[in-house]
Amino acid sequence: MPTIALDDHVLLEGVTKQFGSTRAVDSVDLAVKRGEVHALIGENGAGKSTLGKVIAGVHEPDAGSLHISGEQVRLRSPRQALERRVTMVAQELSLVPALSVIENVFLGIESSRGPMVDNADLRERFRQLVAGSGIVVDANRRVDSLSVADQQKVEILRALARDAELIVMDEPTARLTAEEASTLLKIMRDLSESGRTVIFVSHFLEQVLEIADRITTMRDGRIVRTSEAESETAGSLVEAMIGRSLEANFPPKVAPSASADTVLEVSGISRSGVFHEVSLKVRAGEVVALAGLVGSGRTEVVRAVFGADPIDTGEVSMDGSPVELRTPRSAIASGMGMIPESRSDQGLMLRRPVRENASLPRLGLFTRLGFVNRRSEDHKVESATGEVDLRAASLEMLVESLSGGNQQKALFSRWMIDRPRLLIADEPTRGVDVGAKRAIYELLAGLAADGMAVLLVSSEIEEVLGLAHRILVMRGGRLVGELDGTDATEADVLEVAFGAEIKESAGV
Amino acid sequence: MSEVEAVPAPGKGGAVARLSGRLKGYGIVWVTIALFILLTITTDPFLTEANLRNILDQQATLLIAASLATVAMIAGGFDISVSAVYVAVPLLALQVENATESVLLAVLVGVLAGLLIGVGNGLVVAVLKVNSFIGTLATSFMIFGAGYLISDRSILRPETDTFRKIARTRWFSLTTATWIALAVVVVTWLVLSRTRFGRHVYATGGNPEAARLAGVRVTGVTIAVFAFTGAAAGLAGVVSASRSVSAMPSDDFSFLFGVISAIVVGGTSIAGGEGGVWRTVFGAFFIAFMINGFNLHQVDPIWQRVIQGAVILAAVGIDAWARRRPTG
Repeated sequence: MPTIALDDHVLLEGVTKQFGSTRAVDSVDLAVKRGEVHALIGENGAGKSTLGKVIAGVHEPDAGSLHISGEQVRLRSPRQALERRVTMVAQELSLVPALSVIENVFLGIESSRGPMVDNADLRERFRQLVAGSGIVVDANRRVDSLSVADQQKVEILRALARDAELIVMDEPTARLTAEEASTLLKIMRDLSESGRTVIFVSHFLEQVLEIADRITTMRDGRIVRTSEAESETAGSLVEAMIGRSLEANFPPKVAPSASADTVLEVSGISRSGVFHEVSLKVRAGEVVALAGLVGSGRTEVVRAVFGADPIDTGEVSMDGSPVELRTPRSAIASGMGMIPESRSDQGLMLRRPVRENASLPRLGLFTRLGFVNRRSEDHKVESATGEVDLRAASLEMLVESLSGGNQQKALFSRWMIDRPRLLIADEPTRGVDVGAKRAIYELLAGLAADGMAVLLVSSEIEEVLGLAHRILVMRGGRLVGELDGTDATEADVLEVAFGAEIKESAGV
Repeated sequence: MSEVEAVPAPGKGGAVARLSGRLKGYGIVWVTIALFILLTITTDPFLTEANLRNILDQQATLLIAASLATVAMIAGGFDISVSAVYVAVPLLALQVENATESVLLAVLVGVLAGLLIGVGNGLVVAVLKVNSFIGTLATSFMIFGAGYLISDRSILRPETDTFRKIARTRWFSLTTATWIALAVVVVTWLVLSRTRFGRHVYATGGNPEAARLAGVRVTGVTIAVFAFTGAAAGLAGVVSASRSVSAMPSDDFSFLFGVISAIVVGGTSIAGGEGGVWRTVFGAFFIAFMINGFNLHQVDPIWQRVIQGAVILAAVGIDAWARRRPTG
């Protein structure tokens, strides 16, 4: 059992946080020293964000204990964390868009004179805050007119205005330009110099190496090691993040035949500010993965291909004939199917039965004169859910009562009824347990082996490597590299995906 | 051994959850039956043919409009304008009847006018993306205003004797109003529960983005449900004018309150995505029996209001509570 050192700001012992059947954080011991910049790194899904949220009171741990400034605490909400002078700048910013910067910074802690807000005093406090922190933002601008980088500064000012001593920053640089990121990194460094503790959750290794005092690497919810930043390199961190063999988890890849037809052809599609000149092909029987960091434009591209979002220019063809990209409906008619990124927001009607969710896009097959033939619907849904090995006591169960894995299988079962020529699978294994993951891998590989074209988007690099015949890597809305799925390594993909960041921050 | 049997049997927890789910799901049926029995025992006049026939006749116009408003509600649309359509459309129908002496034409114009108003509501909601509650509140005032203009601010009466027969003819001892309501209820129930359109209604209300990504024409469904609701409210207005042999312009929202009460007491969620026409039928009769019981027991009308409000609150409260349970 670790003992509490005098300079430990936060100490975690045996902290575990579970979501459904997934252990996002698994028996973690961690000490964060007062005044340091402590980086938490790991792949997507390694548990680094969850751990940050446990410290900031967003998630209450299922087991283990948390000490802040030497005192054992239970944080049930961010508010309770703030009482301990701990706060978080989350990936999704929590400002009030229609209020000004100064109003946001002092929201709930306004100076007042009787019932009136004392604006003069607020301005003085704001001036002191800016002078003390060196963070410059126009006090009177409406927050929704600011860039993401400036909004983050407002979040930090807000934390400082509440006397925060420890700030958890969750992927703060993910949506910033290189220049904005380096400004933010300097702010973080200054915070630590002024005695505050910063927990920097990130997957940008170069940034972490640049400003962190110590680095904790996570993998599968556990801590691999905590080390002095000086003793690490990008290479040693990547190794620590990966650290396991892949082959065993994935079904063998069946190469598409050399004569396989091109099913999907995307030619130079762009949407201003989102993705640019993206071209790709997927052949029958081929699994093509779009890889890249969160925010690189992968999901946006496949949604546009499916007609869910508009494009400015470019063209999409299925089986050689152009598709009018207006609605998902026309995409489905042209032979596409999609497993969307978020099954609860974009995929399922949670409070409807499995049967209705499974048959929805193919209802026309069972409909005569507008009426749904329940017998043929039941029959087809039963065999479709059987093919994906969906476990439910009855097909009349509400989808919300299924496990995450079975919910995802319900989405897959849709496209088992009258299979499409192309299946777009966006994060098909997000939030499902290991068993269901394995089943979904086999399903995707099996569909490809049967001749379906599969376009896969995944944040899990090992999934990309394990399933794809070809890997297309995106960065900043562009396709920046293509790798062969049979011999690429995780380091290869990371190198292409991180490429710009490494170069740019080296140039700063 | 079939594959079905290989599925692990649900544990005790599952069985309990299913049973409570079933009781909760059909709660409105049990309480309506219980109330029916209670009133049968405690009052003499309740279980008489005349009383029940009367209740059926009185509920007819409400059921016509509420059936389709239920469909709109399931699709995620809250149609405030049923009151305004119910008030204004019969004025137009009677003007047509007065001018042409054709009752058939009057009814057709009434239903068509309701349909067109509904299309307008649907466009406001689905295309302009105005919140349906606010959008149809706004159109309500326009429609109420149109009612005054159409009628020149006066009570209208039919020229022909046929007009009153729309609702007041008796077939097999029930009024035609009752038969029309029965037909609307049955057709709406079939469409909602058995057709592809019905499925698309549930999908649209349950998760519009997911429905769109599954190929459902979400905009089209939304416009259609508002159009049908408008047509039904128009028909209800014409039937009501026939029952009372007159129509009068007003700004009266009370018809809407009856419609919404029946829908939510029946258990259709105002959040959309779940519910059913049969629920609204039970909801309507539960309220009707309750009011009938109050009158037979000579409950002070002021207390009737209080109790009726409490019942609606309880119904919506149970719905909100049921939605709060954690999802796994």
